Amino acid sequence: MDRHSRRLPMFLNLAQIRFPIGAIASIAHRVSGVLLFITLPVIALLLDASLRSEEVFALLRKLLSSPLCVVAATVPVWALVHHVLAGVRHLLMDVGVGSELARARASARVVLLAAPVVALLFLVWGLS
Amino acid sequence: MKLSIYRFDPESGKPPRMQAYEVRPEAGDKKLLDLLMRLRVQDDSLSFRRSCREGVCGSDAMNINGRNGLACLTALDGLKEPLVLRPLPGFPVIRDLIVDMTQFFAHYHSIKPWLINSEPLPERERLQSPAERERLDGLYECILCACCSAFCPSYWWNPDKFIGPSGLLQAYRFIADSRDTATAERLDFLDDVYRLYRCRTIMNCTEVCPKGLSPSHAIERIRLALLRRSS
Amino acid sequence: MRLFDGQRAWVIQRISALLLLVLIVLATLALPFAAPLDFSAWRDFAGGVLGGPLIALLFGALCAHAWVGMRDIVLDYVQPRGLRFFVLSLIAVVLLGVLVRVLLSLAAVALAA
Ligand code: HEM
Ligand code: HEM
Ligand code: SF4
Ligand code: SF4
Ligand code: FES
Repeated sequence: MDRHSRRLPMFLNLAQIRFPIGAIASIAHRVSGVLLFITLPVIALLLDASLRSEEVFALLRKLLSSPLCVVAATVPVWALVHHVLAGVRHLLMDVGVGSELARARASARVVLLAAPVVALLFLVWGLS
Repeated sequence: MKLSIYRFDPESGKPPRMQAYEVRPEAGDKKLLDLLMRLRVQDDSLSFRRSCREGVCGSDAMNINGRNGLACLTALDGLKEPLVLRPLPGFPVIRDLIVDMTQFFAHYHSIKPWLINSEPLPERERLQSPAERERLDGLYECILCACCSAFCPSYWWNPDKFIGPSGLLQAYRFIADSRDTATAERLDFLDDVYRLYRCRTIMNCTEVCPKGLSPSHAIERIRLALLRRSS
Repeated sequence: MRLFDGQRAWVIQRISALLLLVLIVLATLALPFAAPLDFSAWRDFAGGVLGGPLIALLFGALCAHAWVGMRDIVLDYVQPRGLRFFVLSLIAVVLLGVLVRVLLSLAAVALAA
């Protein structure tokens, strides 16, 4: 059967599949997890540098509050907020809270909307 | 009504293509399957499975406008045109809308879908209280149509190793059965990164089940049963 | 005994997630009450008996959590065995690097204090 199947075509064009809201929240959780993973080394290096000396600390502080850095940081901020909110949703659903379809759809919508709003608030606050 | 249907002929040696159709529904045509039967009169090379025409046999699952469903249970009213029909995603296509279900059924068999009971046979049947019987509601109704597994991203990526929502719902159906004494063995079998733990609670399965079942809920119960056992 | 079974990784991910959640929420709540951070206060915190272990715990949980999560993603999308091994090793190196870097900085501050 295997030899036979390998020559058969398969329909799996993701652009032609209509994804429910839960699937979108889920892939965003995955994307945000990877983004946070990529941010981790940066955070570790920043932590290390900030503890070294008074001068480096002051320099980092100035650098990090520059508009360019604030704009760049909006992406990891979105990622963290989405990941944490979607993570809490997961943990609750794991123990059966809100795991019926209607409520799972509603919570997916809330998470997907809340994260960009918080990221935007961060951007406004950081630039002001 | 305008349709666009996935066509594949293994004998032609040509890749799959989309073919446009147009049919006029007659009075009494309520479901998508009625329309497909009419189409077949127009073009008898068009292939799809069907049998019961009432959501019992599970044979006419397909991807309808981007979502999996049974043609016989999908109302024509409210379907967006052109209606796009494709075979179940992630399954090898044998011809047109007909897919190879070998692997799907192999997963079903792997969970031992029968009662296992090592206790001596009673005089007559094994009895169940109404409450015990009720625990099988939402589980025994599964018709193995594969709408759920073919809509599950985790199943798309690991169809050979992840049992998939349908098989896991069936697995829980036997775990939940008071007459089955093999719960420990069943849980042992499922405790695996691939078999059970590929599920990411996306809930695509529950979104599309034409019988209104919730495989994601069954999976949640299996995980909790495993947790209870090891704590 | 099965060391790396399915449930263990799943449980590690949930426990580390809960830990991270608590630490992140605490940190966020503490933020408005903290005085504007200056270098010596920050150093005292990171080198202290409370801050040091807390930061170490945060990064420990972070690395365990990210390992299981990234491993799950690799198990889905990276199927060829050789490539999978390479990507998993890369992830492990990054996470171990992060953990070692943070622990070393904390130790340096604690020892200097
Ligand atoms: C940093 C040290 C580690 C390295 C380098 C490592 C490496 C690997 C590699 C190469 C695989 C094989 C994947 C495959 O081909 O199937 C694997 C699988 C796995 N690892 Fe690890 N691992 C490490 C730590 C851990 C830890 C701490 C856990 C538990 C939380 C874990 C849980 C697993 C599981 C559950 C699998 C899947 C086994 C399977 O495929 O059946 N690993 N790991
Ligand atoms: C800040 C650093 C973090 C990193 C780098 C990270 C990374 C990841 C990654 C890569 C995944 C895998 C995603 C997937 O399989 O699709 C994941 C899953 C998960 N994360 Fe995080 N995460 C972080 C923080 C958190 C926090 C604070 C929570 C708290 C709620 C959390 C909760 C979860 C949960 C519950 C899952 C499992 C979801 C599932 O089974 O599909 N994470 N994380
Ligand atoms: S759970 Fe629902 S969608 Fe899945 S095979 Fe059974 S009836 Fe079909
Ligand atoms: S809940 Fe699990 S089984 Fe259902 S579609 Fe999602 S990943 Fe697949
Ligand atoms: S024809 Fe039997 S389920 Fe649709």
